[in-house]
Amino acid sequence: MPLSKKRIGIVCPYGWDTPGGVQSHIRDLAEYLIGEGHFVSVLAPAIDEESLPPYVTSAGRPIAIPYNGAVARVLFGPIAFSRVRHWISQGNFDVLHLHEPAIPSISLLACWAAEGPLVGTFHAAAKRQKVSFAVIPFLEPVIEKLNARIAVSEAARETLTEHLDTDAIVVPNGIYASLYRDGKIDERWTGNTIGFIGRFEEPRKGLSVLIDALPAIITQIPDIKIFIAGPGDSADALKEIQPALRSRFTFMGRISEEEKANFLASVGLYIAPNTGGESFGIILAEALAAGASVVASDIPAFDSLLGHGEYGTLFESENSQDLAIKVVALLKDSAARKEIAQRGKNYAQAFDWDVVADKIYDVYQMAMVGGNGVTLSSENRAWNKLLGRQG
Amino acid sequence: MKFILILFALALAAWYLSYSATRLDRLHHRVETSWANLDGLLQRRAAIAIEIARSEISDPASAMLLTFAAHQAREASVRDRSQAETGLSGALGILLETSSHISGEIEKDLIRELRELTEKIKMAVAMHVDAVTRTQLVRKKWINRIFRLAGTAPEPVTYEFEGDVL
Repeated sequence: MPLSKKRIGIVCPYGWDTPGGVQSHIRDLAEYLIGEGHFVSVLAPAIDEESLPPYVTSAGRPIAIPYNGAVARVLFGPIAFSRVRHWISQGNFDVLHLHEPAIPSISLLACWAAEGPLVGTFHAAAKRQKVSFAVIPFLEPVIEKLNARIAVSEAARETLTEHLDTDAIVVPNGIYASLYRDGKIDERWTGNTIGFIGRFEEPRKGLSVLIDALPAIITQIPDIKIFIAGPGDSADALKEIQPALRSRFTFMGRISEEEKANFLASVGLYIAPNTGGESFGIILAEALAAGASVVASDIPAFDSLLGHGEYGTLFESENSQDLAIKVVALLKDSAARKEIAQRGKNYAQAFDWDVVADKIYDVYQMAMVGGNGVTLSSENRAWNKLLGRQG
Repeated sequence: MKFILILFALALAAWYLSYSATRLDRLHHRVETSWANLDGLLQRRAAIAIEIARSEISDPASAMLLTFAAHQAREASVRDRSQAETGLSGALGILLETSSHISGEIEKDLIRELRELTEKIKMAVAMHVDAVTRTQLVRKKWINRIFRLAGTAPEPVTYEFEGDVL
């Protein structure tokens, strides 16, 4: 990275204190760039304004709206808009990085209010939605202000081309690959085991798909065991499982990063049966980097992350029978399993933050050519003058 | 009453015209910056090509070919630029394909720099092409044509890049 330090503004559309892929991507990116010596300010909605890291500015409390098959905690409205404007005019940024600017959120407001070097990252990979036809005329003049667009996956890029008729550069989400590269094999988890990490209570994480596949797997692999890591009430989850199968499940609760690396390196198979609502699948990238052999549902994000099956095995989403067939085949053929895991491990190094953040910074630099920093757009300036407000 | 309505309609029309003009202006600005960026990267590539031509990697014949292509790319007009650059890509491609024995440190550095640059050029081309198609699309809208909102800004030309030389 070059020596010149820049002032970078990042807008996060979703509530900072709710866990999610976009939020943790922004957190890691901001911290990486700060580590490189840049000045970074993140604008995000937040419930608890007291416990925000120093580089985050709150734009107000997020509101929960159903969007894209999940509940999104976003924020918009006049008060949010004035905070966005204030943040832009005070920030004196060289470049503004807006995440998910095509959904109703402060990212869209910031894109509307700002002028200058703008970069947008599109995370969502969704099938065409009818509603988007109606909003495109409003959205297009705003989105076309972006100097550069980034899509986090091929699937997200296709979504963007389909919805907004514009192209994007693909830069994946980042992981700290070095944390996962050298996980130690732990005897507790080796053998015919299946690993699962995530908030298993959420239906879209697809734990029930895995549970339904279990009887068919047991007939072929009698000693199969399942380890589940992640926050949630395990007693509730166990009630959903047939009594005869309960002994095969181990709920471990939250695990540390180090345990996670060891866990991923040790399990026979890592399974991601998610039924949708994933934008990238960061946990799959981590599993690959740790050397796990991965079986995942064929939702668009996972399909493109796993190179259409090149770096991990795909099964038909929500089809427990197909999952059982794939699991049994892999557990019986350890040579094939190791081969695919090794391919995946090499491939996942490309997701390392050292690579990803450099690429994102390259895009910033390209957007900044000839630019004189980010200002409020002329429409807003005229509008503010008319209303007698200070910019 | 009628008077107020007409006034309102006129104000709305004026606002929309100025809004459309701003939008077009912004798009032209985007084309300019994305082109400046791409142009800068391509100039650097031509400079590296000339350095490679002078280095140990190339024999006299390919050195000539490369120098010629690089100069042509540097001097081409905007319209002929993409074709000239494709010629340079081709010359670089041939050279790198045939010379498998790159040993010196300076030469390795040159090749690595070229490879990184090619990655960036691909991104810059994508950004530029997007800006150009967008601008052409908006220029074609009837309101912008009738009121000549594009003014004297030249029609942007797209850039075709046959990218995968390295």
